[in-house]
Amino acid sequence: MAKVLEGPGMGLMKKWGINVPNYVVVTSVDELTKLGQANEWLKKSKLVAKAHEALGSRFKLGLVKVDLDFKAAEAATKEMIGRQVGSITVTQVIVSEMIPHKEEYYCAVKSTREGSEILVANCGGIEVESNWERVKRLCLEIGQAPSADALEKLSKEAGFTGPLIKKMADFAGKMYGCFDSEDAQYLEVNPVVTRASDGELVALDAVTLLDGDAKFRHPDWNFAFAAEFGRAYSKQEEEVMAVDSKIKGSVKFIEIPGGDTAMLPAGGGASVYYSDAVVARGGKLANYAEYSGDPPDWAVEVLTEKVCSLPGIKNIIVGGAIANFTDVVKTFGGIINGFRKAKSEGKLKGVKIWVRRGGPREKEGLDAMRALKDEGFDISVFDRNTPLTDIVDKALQAK
Amino acid sequence: MSILANKDTYVVIQGGVAGVNAARRMAEFCYLIKRSLNVLAFVYPPDAGKTHEIPYGSGLVAVPIYKTVAEATKHHPQINTSLVYIGADRAMKGGMEALDDTHIKVVSMITEGVPEKDAKILGAHARKLGKVFNGPSSIGIVSAGSCRLGVIGGAFDNLVLSKLYREGSFGVITKSGGLSNEIIWICSQFADGITTAIGIGGDAYPGTDYVSYLEMFENDPQTKAVVIVGEMGGDLEERAAEWYGAKKRRVKLMAVVSGFCQESLPKGMKFGHAGAKEGLKGEGSARSKSDALKKSGAIVPATFGALGPAIKDVYQDMLKSGQVKEPVEPASLPKLPKSIEAAMKADEVMVTPLIRTTISDDRGDEPCYDGYPASELINKGYEIPHVVGLLWDKRLISKQEAEIIKRIMMLSADHGPCVSGALGTIIAACAGIGLSQSVAAGLIMIGPRFGGAVTDAGRFFKHAVDNKMTVDEFLTYMKKNHGPVPGIGHRVKSLRNPDKRVKELVGYVKSLPIKTPCLDFALQVEQVTAAKKDNLILNVDGTMAAVLVDIGFPVDSLNGFFILSRTIGLIGHWVDQKRQDSRLIRLFDYLVNYAAPKRREVPPLK
Repeated sequence: MAKVLEGPGMGLMKKWGINVPNYVVVTSVDELTKLGQANEWLKKSKLVAKAHEALGSRFKLGLVKVDLDFKAAEAATKEMIGRQVGSITVTQVIVSEMIPHKEEYYCAVKSTREGSEILVANCGGIEVESNWERVKRLCLEIGQAPSADALEKLSKEAGFTGPLIKKMADFAGKMYGCFDSEDAQYLEVNPVVTRASDGELVALDAVTLLDGDAKFRHPDWNFAFAAEFGRAYSKQEEEVMAVDSKIKGSVKFIEIPGGDTAMLPAGGGASVYYSDAVVARGGKLANYAEYSGDPPDWAVEVLTEKVCSLPGIKNIIVGGAIANFTDVVKTFGGIINGFRKAKSEGKLKGVKIWVRRGGPREKEGLDAMRALKDEGFDISVFDRNTPLTDIVDKALQAK
Repeated sequence: MSILANKDTYVVIQGGVAGVNAARRMAEFCYLIKRSLNVLAFVYPPDAGKTHEIPYGSGLVAVPIYKTVAEATKHHPQINTSLVYIGADRAMKGGMEALDDTHIKVVSMITEGVPEKDAKILGAHARKLGKVFNGPSSIGIVSAGSCRLGVIGGAFDNLVLSKLYREGSFGVITKSGGLSNEIIWICSQFADGITTAIGIGGDAYPGTDYVSYLEMFENDPQTKAVVIVGEMGGDLEERAAEWYGAKKRRVKLMAVVSGFCQESLPKGMKFGHAGAKEGLKGEGSARSKSDALKKSGAIVPATFGALGPAIKDVYQDMLKSGQVKEPVEPASLPKLPKSIEAAMKADEVMVTPLIRTTISDDRGDEPCYDGYPASELINKGYEIPHVVGLLWDKRLISKQEAEIIKRIMMLSADHGPCVSGALGTIIAACAGIGLSQSVAAGLIMIGPRFGGAVTDAGRFFKHAVDNKMTVDEFLTYMKKNHGPVPGIGHRVKSLRNPDKRVKELVGYVKSLPIKTPCLDFALQVEQVTAAKKDNLILNVDGTMAAVLVDIGFPVDSLNGFFILSRTIGLIGHWVDQKRQDSRLIRLFDYLVNYAAPKRREVPPLK
């Protein structure tokens, strides 16, 4: 899943005929000032300014300002750009037209196993969170578009009356169109509001999750995907992602500040069991990592260097199940090179390394790891006869 | 018995290299269980009409490649299963093609990164047709003792260690490829092994979920228990729990779920599998899955490590109740023939080498010339003449010797377009012939009359010096035994019009503090011959030869210096003609002396 920020998210909705307020995304006050000269609405309307970053609770952080005139929007932009929140620096501000409204509604489309589901409620904002039973659903099989009748029925069920029945049905239909055409996995508009000027429904906010795997058929996705866990990717993480995008197989790396047990396991499945074992034994993870699909040795070497560079680590868990086709000698070769490099740079002092692995050429690979002992590494090596996560138990007991 | 894949499963593989690798692994399994290769065809349009040679035992099986699935099943109507190894952007089309073929009942997709929508469409289409669509991102399916689809099960040794050559009693369903192997191994060590193991793939919406496979296992009398390896995200484990809890089931359900670490990690963190992700509202967590499974009556060990002992307990109960019997292991199993390389490493065979080399070795990370790594030679300041010394005479020549060779090469790199070699190359170049052939056309000219006298000149001068001959003795010896002295004489140059190249080279070598007996002798010979006839001077071949013999190069290598140097010029001439886009040339009639008989009548054929 790939999260898309509000600006490009609203852009996609607009593309599929959903009314969105006028908006601009700027990276400086100068840019806003220039846009103000070209866009009359910026001068005429009341405005909302929001930090355009993957941040939760922007309201509480003072990164959403409402009911602004253009001058005040410029001031708000100036204040927000460059602000540091945790690891994220605010680099963009989205300034949009404020839509005066009375009622707020809710509409979302989400991916399900069978296909998708359209969710509609005749309340919105924070009210919908506490009244989840008021959300009505229309389940759709894959490949089945909702009929106008079904949408109107949904709209009625959700409590819409009069001309709003058809308006909400149309809105939900367009949401589905956007969802289906853009390979979305989740689209949410909260709130949907009635624009006083023309009585049309307008999307005031957009949560957009797209299927990153479908990027190949969407040449117009010219925006970057946002980090999904409330912080920016670190330089190290981005470097591993850059490697990952280039290779056959995969390498993954996420830092978890404050931990002391570093992870360097193989396999998308096994890596999570290893992480579980660390947490279950009361250890603190310093990262999540994973390599799989027989990646080239240099990619595993890059990953190893990042793992070895994590601050304050005491153990490195080089775990892995019995591989199907990942060559143990080759991938371990990358890890060994990474270890040697780290050691020559003065890293890995007092760090214990724990290895468990099976798979093609396992004996040669494990022997090569064992030989690191002679080079002064504190390394313990186990084969398939030691259960998968026992090295975690040993590592955390050895403290 | 087993599910999905058995002795009657025959396969078409859609895709290129990855598919061929899978076929090799599948052939190893077929060989282990003594069945013929179950891959009957490949579909890969770029190579349609060719075959892939798949090793089977010590032989090779040729498997044909077709353009379409329909062609493959038309030629091989036994095919009932397709494995899809096509790239993510074209995977759906390939999967649809297979599903729509009436012969094919099971399609397993190995491709990773397939858009969710495509996977759902494929799954729905398969359900509509009453077929199975497994994956995407599936590692494969293996039924012990009968059929392997994909690389699941790993290397040959692992197949044997995991006892995949015969049936056990445990079914396995996993999302993770690596863990499928781990569980198969655990089942073989703590119990009697598996019936069928299925990798359903780690995507959010696998084409076929746990429940469908649980139903199949429930109907397979050989399978007594099923192990599920789940992970956070989605609701497949919850659905499995619902199925298991709904009524009394014949099979025992055992499960582990990963992702408890999520509770202490940043929300929304992405794990290795696309589907491994908690829902927006916390549903699909490891804990909720694990609780649901426990509640349904499934055995859910606290950790992955505890799974082995739990499987053992279940197996021991089955033994006690007489539900299963201890398996009988076969007396012997086929051994996978070793490659020559592996057998040699294990000191099991001796091979007589076909060729022997004493100069270079490129088996490491870079070539070594006479033992010296090329990069080290570069970094320590050695140059091309030193490489010539190492490869032609197996010695590191001195700086001074290298300088002499460099000068020889510079002096003889080219001699204009009119000489035989360059003309040959130019004619070829004008005829549109490629670089290597055109240069070869020029090199072919090098012989006794053009540039190829260096070796012979060196040989005879050396003979004279070694045998302490006087100039007169030498000239008599040559006249009697061989004819004109190689290295003496020139078409256009003479004493009055000396060859500047010779003067230059002789002057330089004589300025050095080295002994040059051959050169000295050759110069003495020139004095005598040139006195007899003006153009019988020491030519550039003879000079090079004498100097090279003096600095110790073996006589047989001497022509090489001319060939090497002149190749520089010949390449230059080819590039020059190419750059000018020169047209085809032919001789003008007036340049030919037509001395053939005049036109006459052909007599009747007798």
